[in-house]
Amino acid sequence: MLRFPEIVGMDLARQAMLMLAVDPALGGVALPAAVGSGKSTLARAFADLLPPDTPFVELPLNVTEDRLIGGIDLEATLASGERVVQRGLLAQAHGGVLYIDAINLLDAGAVTQVVDVLSRGEVLVEREGLSERHPAQFMLLGTWDPGDGEVRMGLLDRIGLIVPLAVQTRWQARREIVETVLAEARRNASPATTRQEGMEAALTLLREQLAEARKRLAEVELSEEQLRSLAATALALGVEGNRADVFAARAARAAAALAGRAEIGQQDLETAIKLVLMPRATRIPEREEAEPPAAQESAEAADEQASDEPATEESAANQDNPAEQAPEPDLEDVPEDLSEVPENLGPPDLLQDLLLEAEAFEMPDGILSVSLVRPARSRAGSRGEALNHRRGRFVRARPGAPREGRIALIPTLLAAAPWQDSRRTEATARGRLLRDGLMIRSEDLRIRQYRDKSGTLFVFLVDASGSMALNRMRQAKGAVASLLQNAYVHRDQVALIAFRGQRAEVLLPPSQSVDRAKRELDVLPTGGGTPLASALHQGLEVARQARSRGISQVTFILITDGRVNVALVQSRDPSAARPEKSVMEGEVAALAAATAAAGIAAVVVDTQAKYLGRGEAERLAAQLQGRYFYLPNARAEQIVEAALA
Amino acid sequence: MSSSRAKHKKSRPEAFPFTAMVGQEEMKLALILNVIDPSIGGVLVMGHRGTGKSTIVRALAEVLPSIERVQDDPYNRSADEFLAAERPRVGRRLMKAEEVDTESFPVPVVDLPLGATEDRVCGTIDIEQALTHGVKSFEPGLLAQANRGFLYIDEVNLLDDHLVDVLLDVAASGRNVVEREGISVRHPARFVLVGSGNPEEGELRPQLLDRFGLYARILTINDLDSRVEIVRRRRAFDDDPKAFFRRWSRKQRALQRKIVAARELLPGIQLPEDVLTDIARLCMQLDIDGHRGELTITRSAQAYAALQGDETVSRQHVRAVVGLALRHRLRKDPLETLDAGEKIERELARVFGEDPEG
Repeated sequence: MLRFPEIVGMDLARQAMLMLAVDPALGGVALPAAVGSGKSTLARAFADLLPPDTPFVELPLNVTEDRLIGGIDLEATLASGERVVQRGLLAQAHGGVLYIDAINLLDAGAVTQVVDVLSRGEVLVEREGLSERHPAQFMLLGTWDPGDGEVRMGLLDRIGLIVPLAVQTRWQARREIVETVLAEARRNASPATTRQEGMEAALTLLREQLAEARKRLAEVELSEEQLRSLAATALALGVEGNRADVFAARAARAAAALAGRAEIGQQDLETAIKLVLMPRATRIPEREEAEPPAAQESAEAADEQASDEPATEESAANQDNPAEQAPEPDLEDVPEDLSEVPENLGPPDLLQDLLLEAEAFEMPDGILSVSLVRPARSRAGSRGEALNHRRGRFVRARPGAPREGRIALIPTLLAAAPWQDSRRTEATARGRLLRDGLMIRSEDLRIRQYRDKSGTLFVFLVDASGSMALNRMRQAKGAVASLLQNAYVHRDQVALIAFRGQRAEVLLPPSQSVDRAKRELDVLPTGGGTPLASALHQGLEVARQARSRGISQVTFILITDGRVNVALVQSRDPSAARPEKSVMEGEVAALAAATAAAGIAAVVVDTQAKYLGRGEAERLAAQLQGRYFYLPNARAEQIVEAALA
Repeated sequence: MSSSRAKHKKSRPEAFPFTAMVGQEEMKLALILNVIDPSIGGVLVMGHRGTGKSTIVRALAEVLPSIERVQDDPYNRSADEFLAAERPRVGRRLMKAEEVDTESFPVPVVDLPLGATEDRVCGTIDIEQALTHGVKSFEPGLLAQANRGFLYIDEVNLLDDHLVDVLLDVAASGRNVVEREGISVRHPARFVLVGSGNPEEGELRPQLLDRFGLYARILTINDLDSRVEIVRRRRAFDDDPKAFFRRWSRKQRALQRKIVAARELLPGIQLPEDVLTDIARLCMQLDIDGHRGELTITRSAQAYAALQGDETVSRQHVRAVVGLALRHRLRKDPLETLDAGEKIERELARVFGEDPEG
């Protein structure tokens, strides 16, 4: 396993972890990165920064609720006849670190528990006859591959430092830096030390520096102006809630303490903005995708504290960079909101530079790697409730063997309790050895039966192209709104994909929020081409992610006239030549077949005026093996019914 | 009773003082009105994350007054309630109210964690008793603890459906009935239900939504000075919670006194006929189902008048609470773009005979 000083690249992530080690009240570090970027290695190496016996608990994705928050230790309880409580993983992480790899795939119930515990700083156990409180204050490390779906905002927001999507690790840099560190360590230690000893020396040095930084932290103070400028930046970025401001102030102080500064400098504010405020922005022109690159200057800040160089050089370099690189024409894309920042101040300047940086950054296009056809899942247990032995609502206990499901403790004990006296008497009469514990026989065992509502995801694919005249768009919005209303009554999830112009865009990833979906719809502009293939493609991707999270049934609701005029190749590369109409129709047909093969139900709502149509939408419905509706005739209830059928 | 449960809810020193919370007046008012008159029916607080929803509710415990309850009663019953329920079981002679020992007890604020199981919420068999003596005895749950107090559910929109069913049942009847696993117990469970959540994480079931008397919205504070003040206070609190609490103790006590005074004033508050007519007309204009809307406005307006130290409910009192009482009761129209609050304001101005444009 790599030790912390050996890891290179992901500079901003390392900087964030060092800051967290200085001030655990920052809550944690969230680190999205592609597969193979070394994010989990880095996360595990975080333990190196903490005192040796600090708890470091890794949360497995399949964790059960009782392991997470604690419960009765069945074995010990049965053996002793008194209830023995087992602390859950969240309580075990108290005073240390909780690490969740693939945090975006964590089961929704577990996410809720983690959020709850983060909010109170303790675990409340109110289950299975137990009523306990365990302290649970920990730093949360979360890593995930953003290609696999998002982390729930409620959870992400409680993690102070959110590292912007990291660019690929610079592998060449790795060797150099390892050598540098080791050479440095050799200089400090005796000339004959081995690599291992050199590493230990480097670690000791690092820990000492962190200890000093922690001491310094109490003395580092934000000035009134600096505090105001952070708050103004948060305002300009449309950050939701006021928690982020508190994190940002802490982050700036931690960055300064880490760099050995008693005064907070511009670069510390910048670090705070990058790690706390920008990732929470709701007003960056390119939506959430706009992330600043892993910035060089903060990397230097991190390196610098390891090599203990004076801070002045770095800040000088800092001033030069953005000014030179700021490309003039992009200024138009900076949202108007920025100019509405209530007061003058430095931050907007600072912010503008950071935003320009962000705009220059290209998101890697993960779409091309998506495999289109997924094996169809069985449609058993469609919408509605099904009894099972694993998940959902605990309905009742029934006699059974432990291998058939989870043991229902209380019913088991209850079943056994009345017989204790007679069994004891019986056993004594037969001259058998008596134990102190409870006498439980196999006929006492009860296992849990659950009822779960199999989740349904409705993916709305809304055509917002120019061919959707405004009044039809209004009708379509009305239909979608009624569907949403219905979906929420049933506690289903909805996702919203709009397609217009060059490509389709996921406006709302699967969520239970009708509010958000409605808001997105309200501001949906229309115009441009009809990239229908891109829409189906995105829909399949959303469906794939949802299934990996256990949603069993997916239904597409397409609201379109079905007249495709933008090919997939154009969606990927805007400069590509427009292929023949037949090619585009072929794409749509293939994707529609893939959708049907994946077991996704579909409803097509045709928005085309009848006298103009050539039956494209009807054909699409047939290809999807779905149902077809003609919008002007269809009442919302009919569509709802079809979608639920 | 289980030994693991503290008899008295200790005020935990790390709670942020209620009076030190910046802004969010709507939510604070909604909570205080419920302290003055618990029959208002609770508060649902929905809004942005990171705005201090749960901090404010948890801070409420510190400013609550005390109630009298029977000594160590797990259901927090008053002497009269206790006698009414237990009378048949006392020997030949009926006990008198004076003979029951009572104690002064802080109004309980019970936190219902989302991971709670039904048996701990409703109460269940005492497992230790069952284990050691083979006896079935009842161990009260969170609903018992919350009787005559507050029951708080953070992220209430994510609560499991089966727990929602339990709550709806109990909230409607005021009693908790446990008939399972061979035990049969019923006890009073009247509490002020407080829920909070972020609507973006999931919606609330309509039946549960309707149960809440008031609906407070909580939004990100966008005033620069307030934001700076929030960070500053948080910093001071984190640095030294005890000292911070001391600094705010005078304000805390002042608020507590104000609440106690309002509770005393409440029974004598006058409700003029014309104000009542206005309230009824408003609910009619807004096409609100049932009569819960009128009742909630009336009770809240009376509580608000008491809080202000006024003896008669006026239009000004009605205006202050009407949004809280009605916002979640308007019919949902998918195509409606007007904000519920604006709609209520508009109708209110019409009922009061004011020019909505002026």
